[in-house]
Amino acid sequence: MVHRILLMIPQIMVLSFIVFLLAQAMPGDALTGLIDPNIDPMTIELQRERLGLNDPWYVQYFNWITGVVQGDFGQSFRFKMPVTELIGQRLNNTIALSFLTLVFTYIIAIPLGVISGRYHDTWKDRLITTYTYLGFAAPLFTFALLMLYLFGFNLGWFPTSGSVAPGMEPGGVDYTLSRIYHMLLPALSIALITTVATVQYLRSEIIDIEQKDFVITARAKGASEKRVYNKHIFRNSLLPIASFLGFEIVALLGGTIFVETIFSYPGMGDLFINSILARDFSVMTALVLLYGIAAVIGALLSDIILMFVDPRIRIK
Amino acid sequence: MVKLFKSKKVEKNLVVNKDETYSGFQILWRELVKDRVALISLIFVSVIVIGVGVISLILNQDEIVRVDLFSLNQPPSSEYRLGTDQGGRDVFGLLIIGARNSLLVAALVTLLTGIIGILLGIVSGYFGGQVDHLLMRIVDYSNILPTLMIIIAFVTAVPNYTIIQFSLIMTLFRWTSIARLIRSRTLQERELEYVQASKTLGTSNFKTIFVQVLPNLSSLIIVTMTLNLAANIGLESGLSFLGFGFPDDTPSLGTLVSSARNPQILELRWWIWMPASILILLLMLSINNIGQALKRATDARQRRG
Amino acid sequence: MLDKEEDRGGVKMKKKRYGRVFLGLMIAFGFMLTACRNETPEESTSEDGSEVEAGMETDGMYSIDDFNNIKTPMGEAIEGGVLNFGLVSDTSFEGTLNYNFYQGNPDAQVLQFFDEGFLSWDENFVYGQDGAATYEISEDGRTFTFTIRDHVNWHDGEPVTARDWAFAYEVIGDPDYDGVRFGADFLNVVGMEEYHKGEADEIAGIQILNDKQLEIEFIRTTPSILTGGIWTYPLAYHIFGEMEVAEMSASNEIRQNPVGFGPFKVETIVPGESVTYVRNDDYWRGRPNLDGVTLRVISPATVIQELRTGGVDLVSSFPIDQFPENEALSNLEWLGIVDRAYSYIGFKLGYWDSELGQNVMDPDAKMADVNLRQAMWQAVDNQLVGERFYHGLRWEASGLIAPSHKAFYNPDLERPPYDPELAKQLLDEAGYTVNESTGYRETPDGEPLVINFYHMSGDDVQEAVARYYAQAWEDIGLQINLELVEFNSFYDQVGEDHPDIDVYAAAWTVGINVDPTNLYGPITPFNYSRFVSDENTRLLELGVSEAAFDLDYRYDIYNEWQQYMLEQAPVFPTHYRANVTPVNNRVLNYGVGDGTGLYWYDVALTQEETLAAE
Repeated sequence: MVHRILLMIPQIMVLSFIVFLLAQAMPGDALTGLIDPNIDPMTIELQRERLGLNDPWYVQYFNWITGVVQGDFGQSFRFKMPVTELIGQRLNNTIALSFLTLVFTYIIAIPLGVISGRYHDTWKDRLITTYTYLGFAAPLFTFALLMLYLFGFNLGWFPTSGSVAPGMEPGGVDYTLSRIYHMLLPALSIALITTVATVQYLRSEIIDIEQKDFVITARAKGASEKRVYNKHIFRNSLLPIASFLGFEIVALLGGTIFVETIFSYPGMGDLFINSILARDFSVMTALVLLYGIAAVIGALLSDIILMFVDPRIRIK
Repeated sequence: MVKLFKSKKVEKNLVVNKDETYSGFQILWRELVKDRVALISLIFVSVIVIGVGVISLILNQDEIVRVDLFSLNQPPSSEYRLGTDQGGRDVFGLLIIGARNSLLVAALVTLLTGIIGILLGIVSGYFGGQVDHLLMRIVDYSNILPTLMIIIAFVTAVPNYTIIQFSLIMTLFRWTSIARLIRSRTLQERELEYVQASKTLGTSNFKTIFVQVLPNLSSLIIVTMTLNLAANIGLESGLSFLGFGFPDDTPSLGTLVSSARNPQILELRWWIWMPASILILLLMLSINNIGQALKRATDARQRRG
Repeated sequence: MLDKEEDRGGVKMKKKRYGRVFLGLMIAFGFMLTACRNETPEESTSEDGSEVEAGMETDGMYSIDDFNNIKTPMGEAIEGGVLNFGLVSDTSFEGTLNYNFYQGNPDAQVLQFFDEGFLSWDENFVYGQDGAATYEISEDGRTFTFTIRDHVNWHDGEPVTARDWAFAYEVIGDPDYDGVRFGADFLNVVGMEEYHKGEADEIAGIQILNDKQLEIEFIRTTPSILTGGIWTYPLAYHIFGEMEVAEMSASNEIRQNPVGFGPFKVETIVPGESVTYVRNDDYWRGRPNLDGVTLRVISPATVIQELRTGGVDLVSSFPIDQFPENEALSNLEWLGIVDRAYSYIGFKLGYWDSELGQNVMDPDAKMADVNLRQAMWQAVDNQLVGERFYHGLRWEASGLIAPSHKAFYNPDLERPPYDPELAKQLLDEAGYTVNESTGYRETPDGEPLVINFYHMSGDDVQEAVARYYAQAWEDIGLQINLELVEFNSFYDQVGEDHPDIDVYAAAWTVGINVDPTNLYGPITPFNYSRFVSDENTRLLELGVSEAAFDLDYRYDIYNEWQQYMLEQAPVFPTHYRANVTPVNNRVLNYGVGDGTGLYWYDVALTQEETLAAE
């Protein structure tokens, strides 16, 4: 365990190096997009010099790394603010959205998965399986947009943009309620699509476990169907799902870009994609490091959960 | 005459035995045929693949992608069976060629990831120790690589990438899951007696792996590859949505579907994106059904046939 | 166990079919959902609708001439009310809320409600006298004296002074400044160069005469000073005076509690997504009509929906391709003006020498033969492109000065007509004959000719237009290799003179300064075609000379220059375009474009509640 955490550090170092090289490989820099006749090209060169973008890559890397170990990730050229502050703002939004999405995902996935697995090959199962296939193939963007059109604009049940109502001051019950209200539709849109993987998996796990010897034994012993399911099958099938939790969280951190665009919800996905498109290198590299660390922690988290939940597995 | 009598009896016995043992492939095939849905799916996929292949040979790709100023955004009619897009191009033609390209990419990626994943997975699982350790570190490490960023970097740095290049990049990120699966299964197989026996007999490792172990994994491989194929079809579509799909002159199902980003096309010109979406959906469903049937076939207790 | 399997087996067979049925239902549902959208535009062609219809349609074609640029009043003004403004963007606004530091257009949209500059301008972009400051020019045209009006105060109550104005110049000229506004206009101020290099502590040419009066002395006098050559935005000294220049743009005073002197004050900001404003009762022009404004970022995918439901009354921009199918919405009026922009196709004729800081022509460039360029121009039917792809909302351009510059625009310039046959003839005569075996034309030396055409990706319609161009050129026998490149990569490669680029397509949004030197001059890196000639340089210099203060003279010079450029064709303009803005019918006193005399403080509403379409 400790061994793995220690291993993380050189891994992240190498990652930072790779990312830096990648950024250099991409044509253009943060100033390339400023094609505006009102802006004097001289000033663009000036700013380039000031940001050190003309220095050779190893000089830039060295400057950046020394900053990083001191906790200074630099300034975003596009936003003109420190990267840490910028990411902090967005992280707030994204964590809230991800949390709600996760809650919805499991609320939907677990009952559906159980029903589908328990009554497999009946019409209930067929219905749910059809839904999972649809979810599998449906493009998230189109689905979220349709949800927004229907529930946001047509029916007017949900707000149509933003993370909170305009004019709200942070703090207070009103503010929190408004935030949750604004998150409902985006979280639901994502959840309805991403649950399908979990549902399918749960279903196949339940079907597999049903064949296992200990279940046959339990039934032979005369345990009620309900007990067999709740105590034996259900618990065991949840194991792998729990272990996915770590990965799910990581995926949600950056994977919400479409929903963020449609709902004008400023989050990490939007920041990441646009920092790449705008070549805002300091933001880009900081985010990649963040995701890298998150991925390692996510994997670790999954293993820890698995270790607790399944006594057969122990990490040496 | 006595001889004949005897041999008839022996023949009968042989026939009885034949009922009880089937080769692996025959089991898979039987399962497919018995499951009606899977059978329909198989027929559907075959029809699509053959149809697309044949028709795309007849169609002239250059003509299809040619912009026609006088037929912009036409709804479906007798002339254009599925209407035209914002460049006046026949959507039906785009659909066929797009399906061909998308299937090609998906098949290529599945094949490449399969080969690499299986090779590395088996070797890693069989030898264990340092080799395994190294591979698992690489696999774990690829998890933290920013796949999206690498893809975007590749796409921006190489403006006119071909289908082959695109597939190679995709492969780079997708082989790890197969490798992991095969490896864990190989780890289990390795402990089984037939492998021990093979080693004791002095068979080289190479031969043991490929002649003994691999065939036993064949069902797992087939099932995994089939399910992966279904997933990979939708893969390119996802990238197109972000704007990193194929350029204009290479139609694909992904570019057709992602045209729905434009609300005009989404609401009012459904003929551009909906047929492609439905096709992707049906293909994924069908291939998935086939894969599920094959999966059931591998577990005797789940078989329906 | 076996029993159960068999039972299930029997029931199973029937149940399987349901799977497909439900699948069909789902698809049908999807269809219905999208079909629902179809009916509304057609539905709402009410009689009311046709009365207010400004963009009249004939055969699906629109003309910019048919659009008003001022909202037709649809009722009486009420007291107060809150305007809903939609900032159309697919990403959040950056939040650098100060004119001296901002960079992207979304921030400018946020700024316009609570801050402004000292000088206004008329429809010819010449500074007028009805801004927050008036000005006088000295005899020699080099010294400007500005007088700030009384009662011009910052939102925190402090008066806006000449000190604030001078401070802006000092900060922008400071070497630690991290914004993008510094440049030739600033260096034209006496003493700025020394100050910028750190050789002087003050800018010699800027004198603060008293609290309300500022004097600026320029090195060169040119008519361009009066069209955008003066920096008219102050920086509050009492707020920023003690701050380090490098830390200003990240400060709370810019990001969270910005202060301006415009008609509305910033009330709250939700970073990246919304801003609310309240009326500034102390506004120097007078008390604004509205109680406040609510600005929200909305995605381009949802603009129409927001307009239809009345969620927004105005938007920052409207995607033109969504106009034809939505023009009949009953709660909107469509205003239109000519956009300050043009699109063009350029030819790479040389490279940028960064050592010497100038453009250098290459006589061996692939596109060096003017006949080849002229022929390529004649092969494309830009008028048709504008009609078919943009329903007439883009039209063929006549020269390199856009119609938005009314004083200098000339629609009658002589340019090559659309004539592919003539183009082929021209190429034959110039020696670019067709090679029988390949079917493509070769260079006069007999070498194969492959032309690389670079275009930006990302816009479906634009990509189709790019393909049309490539086809048109192939039709006259040229072998074209079309490359669609992402925005940043495109400008990087075009700017760095990537050796593969022969022809490229781009567009310019022009500023209010008509002087084309920034785009076509000999020492500007924005001159992407790298075209240099003595005649070009001569005409450009005359255009900003002292004599050019005479409008007629300046008009003639720019005419001559435009004509010269059309003949030389280092670039050829393809389209001018219309900017169409939807305005909700409850809005009064709103106009688009420059010189309308309407400001945000004039805007009023006819009702409290939002107005949705029928």
